[in-house]
Amino acid sequence: MNKSIIKTHELTKTYGRGANLTRALRGVDMEIPRGSFTCIVGPSGHGKSTLMHLIGGLDRPSSGRVLIDGQDVSRMAEKKLAMMRAVKIGFVFQFFNLLQSLTALENIEIALMLAGVPEARQQKRALELLELVGLSEKANAKPGQLSGGQQQRVAIARALANDPPILLMDEPTGNLDSTAEDEVMHVLETLNQKGKTIILVTHSSEIAARAENVVRVRDGRLEAD
Amino acid sequence: MTPGKLVFKNITQRRGRFVFTLLGIVIGMACFVTFMALGGSLKSQIEQESAALGANLVVTPKGSCAYEQVSILTGEQLPTTITADEVRVLRAIDGMTAIPYLAERSAIDNRPVSVLGILPAETRAFKNWEITAGSYFASEDAQGAVLGSVLAEQFGLEPGGEVRVRGTMVRVIGVLAETGGKDDLTVFLSMPLAQSLYQQEGLVSYVAVRVDRLDEVDLYAMKIKEKVSLGVVSDKQMLSAVLSIVGTVNITLQLIAAVAILAAAFGIVNTMMTATYERKREIGILLAMGANRTRIFHLFLLESGIYGLLGGLAGGVLGLGASILAAPYISQNAVTSFVKGTQTSIDPLMFIGAVFFSTLVAMAAGFYPAWKASKLSPVEAISYE
Repeated sequence: MNKSIIKTHELTKTYGRGANLTRALRGVDMEIPRGSFTCIVGPSGHGKSTLMHLIGGLDRPSSGRVLIDGQDVSRMAEKKLAMMRAVKIGFVFQFFNLLQSLTALENIEIALMLAGVPEARQQKRALELLELVGLSEKANAKPGQLSGGQQQRVAIARALANDPPILLMDEPTGNLDSTAEDEVMHVLETLNQKGKTIILVTHSSEIAARAENVVRVRDGRLEAD
Repeated sequence: MTPGKLVFKNITQRRGRFVFTLLGIVIGMACFVTFMALGGSLKSQIEQESAALGANLVVTPKGSCAYEQVSILTGEQLPTTITADEVRVLRAIDGMTAIPYLAERSAIDNRPVSVLGILPAETRAFKNWEITAGSYFASEDAQGAVLGSVLAEQFGLEPGGEVRVRGTMVRVIGVLAETGGKDDLTVFLSMPLAQSLYQQEGLVSYVAVRVDRLDEVDLYAMKIKEKVSLGVVSDKQMLSAVLSIVGTVNITLQLIAAVAILAAAFGIVNTMMTATYERKREIGILLAMGANRTRIFHLFLLESGIYGLLGGLAGGVLGLGASILAAPYISQNAVTSFVKGTQTSIDPLMFIGAVFFSTLVAMAAGFYPAWKASKLSPVEAISYE
């Protein structure tokens, strides 16, 4: 098995044309070891989120390659890429991004549905995941009835639904108070110990200090640690 | 969780919009089903009426137009321009039976009813009438009225009672057994009584003719035209003339319904477009979780399809209900007077067809918004605030 789970090669991303051209990434070469806990840090607008979107297959690079488990996702067909997002990557966002009309349990079931898990098996798995993040008793609560920390834990449970090897997180604690942040970080560290590769985009130096690898992004390039 | 459940939860999340969008399609479909039901019943009633006429040829005043043919079938008042002499000539032709009628109108409790002057014995033999209550006309000039069954029931009239015809109280002699046609809603008088009440001495409105040999219908039509200067139409011609009018009426009604449905379809387009903007972020989340574009497209198409399905079901039920309720109120003019009581044609196939049609229209309406939603870039969608 490959030692690094994610590899990028001369990754660039530009937006717009002519005078409006913005270079979000200017040639990023990066390797993320399997089972590592990596933080991507750097000032706002310097390409952290763009890098995460490219790694997660939410966007395509202008040039260069992204390899996940040795597979080039930058040129993958749309359907195959979607399936890869469903089973290999779990996303967690700053604003939790739970579907407001659904309960905590149903939010997790959606991820299972999209990966093709039959309805009969969805509920058991979703309950297991809620238990994992310590929210079994909130299964039928809607996002509006949960605190920020609880919502983010539901989002983490949802990201874990199809047991993906990689968790990609964009400022997952950016909207949480320090207690909730600690709860969430604790969950993430436990998951990392169980073998999940975690990549976390953050502003916070405290969080970065808890990670084993720190990648600094500035002006669309990586800075030496 | 299934796509269907997800869509249903999404729809019902915004109840107000759901209800109003649904109302649009419900009203459109209700119009459509009402008009179809009434139109369908017009046609079937006319066919039934034509059969109940029991005639192969109908002799009408000269220059008879389609309106007069409609009038014969509906029991409207007709110009009484056929004279006793002409009737005598017609009745003298061998090989056919000619029965004259005087068609007039009266009102009971302010509701218009048909009054028909007849030759009692011959008409009864011609139409095979049965009596359920009281008795039949005892003589050709009997002073009294025999009523159609539905009319007697509607106005609570019984033998021994009285009915007002053109300001004169006429004793009810008997009530006919139900015929299923317009005769059920008619007041029958003996010809001399009808002629004197309406001051039409010696005149009749039309003459129904039955020929002994069906294959000679055309020949007799010629014979009649030779002997009297009157119009002659065969029952088939009359039926097709009337049905063509009914067809025009039906098409007009359906066009109106189509406009209503079209308006409702644009309501769905509007709602779904709003939904794609509002739920941009949600689409992004689904994409991040592994939904592909086809899946997003299907979810949105399913959502508009559900509007169509629910709207079709509710509109269908409402439309059939409305057609049953509306029928008695629109039975006051020549063309629609066939639709009476509870007789609307409720065709299960039409109902299923309407629901299917409504779903199809709604999905067509949802096509563009669904396509727009499926074309969203995941990053743009997820970053939407």
